[in-house]
Amino acid sequence: MKLVALVLVPLLGGLLAWPLGRRRTEWARIAAVLALGVDLALALSLLGPAGPGGWLATFELPWIPSLGIGLRLGLDGLSLVLVLLTLLVGLLAVFASWSEIRERVGFFHFNLCWVLAGILGVFLALDLVLFYFLWELMLVPMVFLIALWGHERKTYAAIKFFLYTQASGLLMLLAILGLGLAHQRAAGSWSFAYGDLLGVSLEPTLALWLMLGFFAAFAVKLPVVVLHTWLPDAHSQAPTAGSMVLAALLLKTGAYGLLRFAIPLFPDASVRFAPVAMVLGAIGVIYGAVLAFAQTDLKRLVAYTSVSHLGFVLLGIYAWTSFSLTGTVLQMVAHGLSTGALFVLAGALYERTHTRDLERLRGLAPVVPRMGAAALFFALASLGLPGLGNFVAEFLVLVGAWEVRPIPTTIAALGLVAATLYSLRFFQRAFHGPAAEAELADLRPRELTVLGAMGVALLWLGLAPQPLFEVVAPALDVLLRTAGGTP
Amino acid sequence: MSGETPMVLLPLGITAASALAVMLAAAVRGPTPRAATGRAAEALSVLGLAAALGSQLAVAGAAPRRVTPLFVFDGVSSILGAVVLASALAVVLLASAYLRRLDEPWEEIYALLLLGTAGALALTSSDHLVGLVLGLETLSVSLYGLVASVRTRGDEALEAAMKYLVLAGAASAFLLFGVALLYASVGTLELPALTAELSAGTPAGSELVTVAGLAFVLVGIGFKLALVPFHLWTPDVYQGAPAPITAFVATVSKGGVVAFLLRLVAAAGAVARPEDGEGLFVVLALLAGASILVGNLLALLQRDVKRLLAYSSIAHLGYLLVALLAGGELGPRAAVFYLIAYAVTILLAFGVVTILSRAEQEAGDLDAYRGLFWRRPILASAMAAAVFSLAGIPLTAGFVAKLYLLLAALDGSRFGLVGILVVGSVLGLYYYLRVVVAMLATPEPETAASEPVGASGGVALAGLGAVLIWIGVAPSAWLRILGIWLGG
Amino acid sequence: MTGAAWPLLVHLAVAIGLAAGMMAVSHLLGERHRERATGEPYESGIVGTGELRGRLSINFYVVGLLFVIFDLEAAFLFAWAIVAVEAGWAGYAGMLVFLVLLGVGLVYEWRQGALDWGRTRRAIERALAARESSRRPVTLAGVPFERGTPVGTKGRR
Repeated sequence: MKLVALVLVPLLGGLLAWPLGRRRTEWARIAAVLALGVDLALALSLLGPAGPGGWLATFELPWIPSLGIGLRLGLDGLSLVLVLLTLLVGLLAVFASWSEIRERVGFFHFNLCWVLAGILGVFLALDLVLFYFLWELMLVPMVFLIALWGHERKTYAAIKFFLYTQASGLLMLLAILGLGLAHQRAAGSWSFAYGDLLGVSLEPTLALWLMLGFFAAFAVKLPVVVLHTWLPDAHSQAPTAGSMVLAALLLKTGAYGLLRFAIPLFPDASVRFAPVAMVLGAIGVIYGAVLAFAQTDLKRLVAYTSVSHLGFVLLGIYAWTSFSLTGTVLQMVAHGLSTGALFVLAGALYERTHTRDLERLRGLAPVVPRMGAAALFFALASLGLPGLGNFVAEFLVLVGAWEVRPIPTTIAALGLVAATLYSLRFFQRAFHGPAAEAELADLRPRELTVLGAMGVALLWLGLAPQPLFEVVAPALDVLLRTAGGTP
Repeated sequence: MSGETPMVLLPLGITAASALAVMLAAAVRGPTPRAATGRAAEALSVLGLAAALGSQLAVAGAAPRRVTPLFVFDGVSSILGAVVLASALAVVLLASAYLRRLDEPWEEIYALLLLGTAGALALTSSDHLVGLVLGLETLSVSLYGLVASVRTRGDEALEAAMKYLVLAGAASAFLLFGVALLYASVGTLELPALTAELSAGTPAGSELVTVAGLAFVLVGIGFKLALVPFHLWTPDVYQGAPAPITAFVATVSKGGVVAFLLRLVAAAGAVARPEDGEGLFVVLALLAGASILVGNLLALLQRDVKRLLAYSSIAHLGYLLVALLAGGELGPRAAVFYLIAYAVTILLAFGVVTILSRAEQEAGDLDAYRGLFWRRPILASAMAAAVFSLAGIPLTAGFVAKLYLLLAALDGSRFGLVGILVVGSVLGLYYYLRVVVAMLATPEPETAASEPVGASGGVALAGLGAVLIWIGVAPSAWLRILGIWLGG
Repeated sequence: MTGAAWPLLVHLAVAIGLAAGMMAVSHLLGERHRERATGEPYESGIVGTGELRGRLSINFYVVGLLFVIFDLEAAFLFAWAIVAVEAGWAGYAGMLVFLVLLGVGLVYEWRQGALDWGRTRRAIERALAARESSRRPVTLAGVPFERGTPVGTKGRR
């Protein structure tokens, strides 16, 4: 029941925020904060020893019984970590947009809450049709967030984002239905339950095609290079909260989908596909880094760093070893925090200077020293400075992937060097050089709190990641056992 | 005739009688507008259709029963008859505010609506080619009048009506000729007997006649469903006809024909060995594929919402055909379910268009919807829900219907058509999203007078919206009813 | 294609060929004029005068339609009369329904003024009354009507 509440609370919070925002804008923000805060407490209360199969909690209710579709939810360590990340970033996003969003505040928070609810649902769903349902559900409010509160080319970016994700989503739907059909042919009854579909034996060719259907959807979200072109547009055009949710959370649903569904459901096909995926991951690391280096738009730069960082995630997932998976999960969390923070900074800069152009931002460090310090901290986090979460994550991924496939791993490792280049270039461009002559307000306490929370979390992940490992380990063990990887 | 027979004829009888009563109201009125008779016609239509729908639901679920050689009352006619009547009721409710704004008499429009509904109702239960022709002609002749019925619409409506008259006349001629050819070669007009004869092997020497006959019948049906390449009338009629009539064309007139097609395909599928029935199936598959692609591609170019919905309807009927072709246990159910979801959705969409329209200045152009979300949030939300349903986004009826349809198509191994369907859906997303984006655009200065929704229109919109979400969130009750009525 | 079809095709080909051939030959060999009266329509050697597209009163069409409808429907009565006894009361009831439908149609047309030829005094009074009430331009059979025009039984001005 708690799991249903976990999804319902933000939905209701959003429904409340909309009409409240028409009365007074502050009420909408408070409603969103309250809903997400309650949800966070709820999620924390689920922490505990894992039950059989690694599950901390499960829920089941029939939905469309004639087709074996049910409201099946389940939470294991992996889901829990991502749920906590979602709620934390969601809360911070509300704070970060406190002064940025001035128009249609109620509707903004409605959309934000519904996106978060959809993402939470995706992390919890254990029925494939329900999963698809929620997968699509989080799209529409996200499109609204971009299309309504975005920057100059918001409509273009929103439509592009929608088309990419929807088109790939349809392929996944076909794969889900195909898998359900295969189960029906084998077992004689309909079911779309994750547990039932895990054991379906498939003809290798069919399995490969179905796996590719899933991979298409997740690869667009992740994004895998070639399918990534929606990302720089969507990220740079979205408002700060939208960029945060996109980078920190939406991309993670792709990684989560690969971990939870694409590989365990089709272990053999995934083994055949792994070399391709790992090479794609390595290419993504380098390609994202090179393009990030060439950007002049601050938000586009950060967007391309996401492509690069998520290349490590793809590499780690398809290496499918205990080390690489642990690193992947940590990378998901750390990237969510560091990139989210960079978008908060970009948003704060844009609010003050009305530009995201690195050619025009110069010598800001003396003017806004606190902002400069924060930017340096998160730029260093992004390049993988030891002591911060990203370093541990990337190191674990590389160690894990090295055992399996050394060549792509070596290429990916070069990405770390490139990361140094683009991170420092960004910092040096915007904050060093002759002091700017502008009068700008430094970070306000609210912004400092948001960034501070993210910074502390990154430090914690970098210095003492063990608690996180302990939470996800049982879940990852179960996944490894189902799909037969090297433990 | 046994004692119970009149019961199954009750819905048809009530509908026809109300048409007659409305015509008497028009006769009482005479040649000049009069408010009292107009209201009476409105009330008579609503009550008549509600009573017909009630009796339809009351007699539904009974054992199949044949009344005269022309009609059979079974599960298919129960469901689709209810769909036709409910759609007609919604159209009448939505039309009321629009028609009251006219400064010309409107009783005849209700009479024609009821007459057309009776025709469509007859179609849902006919499994005889003469029944098909009877129902189709009653429906078509009413539509000719309806499309041109509002004189203040001007040349646009007249052009649409002329186009429809000429093309539908040609299609009817084809249909009749096809029926005649089939009779000449096979010697029966009853659908089950006809398909049985055909599968037993056509009489030597008359293959050409038989194939031509079937093809001509398909032309007639394809025209009514606006399948490519018989779709040319659709955009002009959808755009030119008054908005509530467009809603009628899009739902009621399709429901009856789908029922007949369902029977045709079922009859052909039941008797045929795979290799025998293939001819018909290949042709239908081609029509479906072409409709999906052409409909969606041409919709991409439209700036007028009514034209856009016209092209999208071509594509959606293509989707529906895919489910019909899938066969098996799921196929017919998916097709009927899709039709229900589509009817609810498109009625909601045209309901919003109707409310925003005046006869002289219909809310056609996309610009009329710019910033609607901020001017009239509830109407815009209804439109957005309808558009998302057409696009198949979750929480709406369209999503569940498309899911079911894809499942049926995969079950029937129609992989090629599924591929086309996915491509078409992706194309569709773009133009559906454009409508939503237009509604979300920053508000223009208030230009158009805001039309009142009206009580009956409000009831209809609320009801349609509720059903749309109900099907989208908890479809199991609907699927259960379909399972019971369609058997299996 | 079966053997039975080829004579038909030959016939079709011959027919088209013959027609095309005649036109082609006359096109090639025929004389050509281009004078003042060449393009004029004529009848019995006399060039026509006036507009071809004169407007006929709508009443011609209405009456024509009425005739077609009621004439055809009378034919149904004959068909029923032959089998009246065999058809029994059910047939009688069916015919009654049919006649009621016809009657309603007739009443409707009568009330719409479809049976009035031209401007009858009653129609004009009614139209004037309507004009008073709705202040919309009054038309009678498509012709704008002004108060004070002479009233007669002939429709055309």
